[in-house]
Amino acid sequence: MELQDTIFCSEDDNSLYFTYSGKSNVLEVRNLNYQVDVASQIPWYQKLSELKMPWTYDTDPNSHVRAIQNLTFKIKSGQMLALIESSACRRTSLFDVITCRDHGGKIVSGQVLINGKPSTHQLVKKCIAHVRQDDRLLPNLTVRETLLFIAKLRLPKTFSESEREKRVEEVIAELRLRQCANTKVGNEYTRGVSGGERRRVSIGVQLLWNPGILIFDEPTSGLDSFTAHNLVITLSRLARGNRLVLLSVHQPRSDIYQLFDLILLMTSGATIYCGAAQDMVQYFEEIGYPCPTYSNPADFYVDLTSVDRQTEETKMESLQRASSLAALFHEKVKHFDDFLWKNRSEDDENTVSISTDLSPPFVSEELINMNSHSTDQLPGWFQQFTVLLSRQVSNNVRDLSALLIRGFEALLMSLLIGFLYYGHGKTRLSIQDTSALLYMMGALIPFTVVFEGITKCHSERVVLYQDLEDGLYPIGPYFSAKVLGELPEQCVLVIIYGIPIYWLANLSPESEHFFLNLLFFMFGTCCARTMALWISALLPTMQISAFFGNMLYTTFFLSGGFLISLQNLWTVPSWISKVSFVRWCFEGLMQVQFTGLTYTMNSGNVSYSVSGKLVLRAMDLDSHPLYAICLILAGISTGFLILYYLSLRFINQKSNQDW
Amino acid sequence: MVSVPQNNVSVLKVSYTVRERLGPWWDISSYHKKWTRQILKDVSFHIESGQIMGILGNSGSGKTTLLDAIAGRLSHKSNFVGQVYVNGHELHQDQFQDCFSYVLQNDTLLSYLTIEESLTYIALLALQKHSCDSIKKKVDAVMAELRLSHVANSVIGSRILGGISEGERRRVSVAAQLLQDPQVMLLDEPTTGLDCMTANQIVMLLSELAQKGRIVIITVHQPRSELFQVFNKICIMSFGELVFCGGPSDMITFFESCGYSCPEHSNPFDFYVDLTSVDTQSKVRELETYSRVQTISTAYKSSELFLNTLEAIEETKCKVKDLPPIPFKCKDSPDSFAKLWILLRRITRNFSRDKVGLIMRLSQNLLFGLFMAFFLLRLSDDLLKGAVQDRVGFIYQCMSAPPHTGILNALALFPALRAVGDQESKDGLYQKWHMLLAYVLHFLPFSVISVALFSIFIYWTVGLHPAASSFGYFFAAVTVPHIVGELLTLVFLGVIQNPNVVNGGVGLLNVAGVLVGSGLVRSLEDMPTAFKMLSYLTFQKYGSEILIVNEFSGLKFTCGGLSNISTGVEASCPFSHGTQFIERNFPGAGSRFTTDFLLLYAFLPALITLAIISFKIRDITILR
Repeated sequence: MELQDTIFCSEDDNSLYFTYSGKSNVLEVRNLNYQVDVASQIPWYQKLSELKMPWTYDTDPNSHVRAIQNLTFKIKSGQMLALIESSACRRTSLFDVITCRDHGGKIVSGQVLINGKPSTHQLVKKCIAHVRQDDRLLPNLTVRETLLFIAKLRLPKTFSESEREKRVEEVIAELRLRQCANTKVGNEYTRGVSGGERRRVSIGVQLLWNPGILIFDEPTSGLDSFTAHNLVITLSRLARGNRLVLLSVHQPRSDIYQLFDLILLMTSGATIYCGAAQDMVQYFEEIGYPCPTYSNPADFYVDLTSVDRQTEETKMESLQRASSLAALFHEKVKHFDDFLWKNRSEDDENTVSISTDLSPPFVSEELINMNSHSTDQLPGWFQQFTVLLSRQVSNNVRDLSALLIRGFEALLMSLLIGFLYYGHGKTRLSIQDTSALLYMMGALIPFTVVFEGITKCHSERVVLYQDLEDGLYPIGPYFSAKVLGELPEQCVLVIIYGIPIYWLANLSPESEHFFLNLLFFMFGTCCARTMALWISALLPTMQISAFFGNMLYTTFFLSGGFLISLQNLWTVPSWISKVSFVRWCFEGLMQVQFTGLTYTMNSGNVSYSVSGKLVLRAMDLDSHPLYAICLILAGISTGFLILYYLSLRFINQKSNQDW
Repeated sequence: MVSVPQNNVSVLKVSYTVRERLGPWWDISSYHKKWTRQILKDVSFHIESGQIMGILGNSGSGKTTLLDAIAGRLSHKSNFVGQVYVNGHELHQDQFQDCFSYVLQNDTLLSYLTIEESLTYIALLALQKHSCDSIKKKVDAVMAELRLSHVANSVIGSRILGGISEGERRRVSVAAQLLQDPQVMLLDEPTTGLDCMTANQIVMLLSELAQKGRIVIITVHQPRSELFQVFNKICIMSFGELVFCGGPSDMITFFESCGYSCPEHSNPFDFYVDLTSVDTQSKVRELETYSRVQTISTAYKSSELFLNTLEAIEETKCKVKDLPPIPFKCKDSPDSFAKLWILLRRITRNFSRDKVGLIMRLSQNLLFGLFMAFFLLRLSDDLLKGAVQDRVGFIYQCMSAPPHTGILNALALFPALRAVGDQESKDGLYQKWHMLLAYVLHFLPFSVISVALFSIFIYWTVGLHPAASSFGYFFAAVTVPHIVGELLTLVFLGVIQNPNVVNGGVGLLNVAGVLVGSGLVRSLEDMPTAFKMLSYLTFQKYGSEILIVNEFSGLKFTCGGLSNISTGVEASCPFSHGTQFIERNFPGAGSRFTTDFLLLYAFLPALITLAIISFKIRDITILR
């Protein structure tokens, strides 16, 4: 142990960070039986993709699995419980139950109590930090920025700016992220920090907030042994600072195992052992399974209780062993009030060292006064909004290549169409050409906007739905930040797109017409963007969203009044054309250009003049005055916005689905 | 055992550096500064047949780079210093892939094949000259060796589909390499992502492979203490340096001599790796731990163990003549045609099990047809009821939508094949463009059938020109855009990794092509010269000319119910015959009908060639 201290950081600083001054928490699980319906965990679109139709979904009896059987324990602040489960699947279900995030499972009997109250979403959001197994972070922010934004959202109002920054620095140091603090987080397509480092950033996001109860799903997997050890040291220090720490581990190393104080060993849902870590060996010795010398007790007992699936025989044998062990344990702990196994002979010495020794040793009066409960409020609506807005903008701006690609695309489209309808030549553009130009101008830029919008929303949604689950911010501020945050970029795109095209095609030279033209572009892209936002909040996967977006846009495109004349549309498509923003945009652009113009037409030898009004009437594009069109377009995009808000509010997309 | 030749691999003073930018782009001052990062620093070791070596170290310590260096797969060869010897011979650039087999961390396997099929196809690709019987025997033997026989007929599956377990998948990857009888096997993190029992089983299996006379080098992440005696050699890396390399017992004595003895109840692997780690929590800790690592590595460099290693390397270099030649993998790979044929069978077998995929591929054009029919209902001949406008709109859609469905097809299917092709071409089984060409051959019939379904439906529903030959021309002209869309996507997939970017890029190209080339939204005559030139490069030009001529040439229009139009009656009825429309908007198109067809079909070979070139470029650009 002395040697270990020289290898790992000795715990000299008992900084403020590690002590929790709120009142102590108790987590109790009573006779919990939890059943998971495997079939219902598969989302509908995936079933559909396997050609299973909804009417064939009748419940398969085999799909119900007892994920947790008869689990009972009670732990309080100051304790760290490690869940070691040997079967590789469904390891996280206990934490799902505790945090009320059941994915297709249901509690058959028993309950989970936090401080004596049954756990609910509200309670969980307020007092539990949950680190999930997969990393959901915005890829273009640096590690420090990621943490700083969370600090601004999550830490109570009472924290000053410098205190927040200090907290972030502490977390960075604690998780050994100093060398990559200014590196992008990255994802599978953008290069960023390494996988282990990303894992630590996710942990840091929850450590920042640092409430009374901390839950970690596999915090050490994917980390190298050294960092894993340091992390568990950190967690155990947090626990000693009067917090309740729950973590699940997979194959703990012997030195990490020694850091745990309580262990819950489960196999296929049954409790094999629950109690102090240092008593585990003794317990198993008592029931006839001594741990051989020189081997890691955690490994040994996990192997002992795990289900060996190599052949049918070994499977049956190991299952039987596991269930008999579980029954035995249940018998042994019946009499204890917290259902943790204690070694009776040395009862006094051992348990004292666990429960009293670990209770907060250094909570001074001063600290308690500093963080009193009344001030424990999260930042207000407006501050959340500004933080989210700046997070949104930073994440967008940092992605230089994407920005450049988008700008370049817009410019290219503009130049292409502009030169195609180059209007400075000998003759002006004909009526046919002008209307084609206006249609293409109005319809092309929304097309790219729809697809970019959908891809982008889907890449961000993992973060969004996790934040919402965590209760980091309500939907309102996010909605406003998302809608407003992309406006500047959109304006720039419209200007890049609108100016060259207008000049090249030599459209009406009046400045008023030019600005009206830009205004309609702006309306068109607004509608397209809000439509993309709505679709991506409505549908579960990117493929489905892209498909639906394509369909919807094509519908609007075809009913836009150019490719197929408006008079020729039969009833249903003509209704569609009433809400088609492509059509209204086209109508607006046409009216701007054609009103007050007269064209000279030659047919044979006769030349006669056609007024712009007549052209508009012939195409059925004079139904509404210009201001009405503006109002209709604004109405359409508001409609999409309302739908977007409703989808965000009522359709709870799972944050972990993307394929 | 006696008959097995004694091979050895030695690595002498290997160093590797990369140049990196200091900061991100928005931090301009630091972005312009570059620094040199040393990833490998003077690494030497020596290993012989029958041995298994485990490389340990924290993330970022250079384990994987060391493996890449041995396998000759580094991205910037110019920054590489040092030599890799096999039996005393220094390897040439092109000999690396024939000598080492390299199993990467992520398994790239086709998800709809069974284990036996996967292995058989790889065996066919690697050892074509053998008879079918001997290939079957070989596959059976390898499956038995890796204990896969009981699941031989299970479909591999994927993350979404389910299928065989992670451990089995990993073993299939190893088995695929074993088919070629490599004498030196390199494995990058074969145990990561597996549960502890499976991980142990894999390492034990690998050590058995080594005991049969092979050399096995693996990087391992947190091995368990039971494996301590399994490895013949253990390397510990820290910050690019080899801190220690030697047998398990040497390891304990060496670290004891440095003053660090492993406590009895802890895992020696973990203990020694922690000992050589650098803690970056604070500057003080960093310096403290770094100096400890330096002390240990200096001690190792001056130890007898290291001097012995250097001596052994020198010895093999001197004894080159007595040693066996470089042990190449079994390689009787067939000629290009045979490879293509095998790949085609493999791809077809794989995708034929993907029912949803098949249905989607065959029906998506038809779906789009339904959509169009919904809007158009039936074309009329009355000019006042949009006879021309609707037809032009219809042809516009026929030119722009089928390429789009082609793009979706290619994006859904090809990236998986591309990953397999990247991997297997590095193993020297075939070239990347073989895979590409096999895929092209595979999708062609499906595309044709899909377009045929679409054409049959839409042609008679909306009521185009009723002659059978016209239908034939229509079908022939719409098939090409669909296939071209798919081919274009393949061209881009060769040089761009991210499928979403490809989707956007090809989509835009398609739109631009319709605008510039088709002459439907802007008549070609009125365009600036540059665009006229450009339009000759678009397939849409030829396609839409064919469709226009095909549809309009026999057509007679009415004007508001009158079948005869006296000239100049109304501005809105400028023509009475379709040919007039053709002459006005596409002058001379009627006489170019055959040429247009030839040129349209010329796009197919041209794009296939382009795609092959793009995949040749991929050979150069892709790193790892």
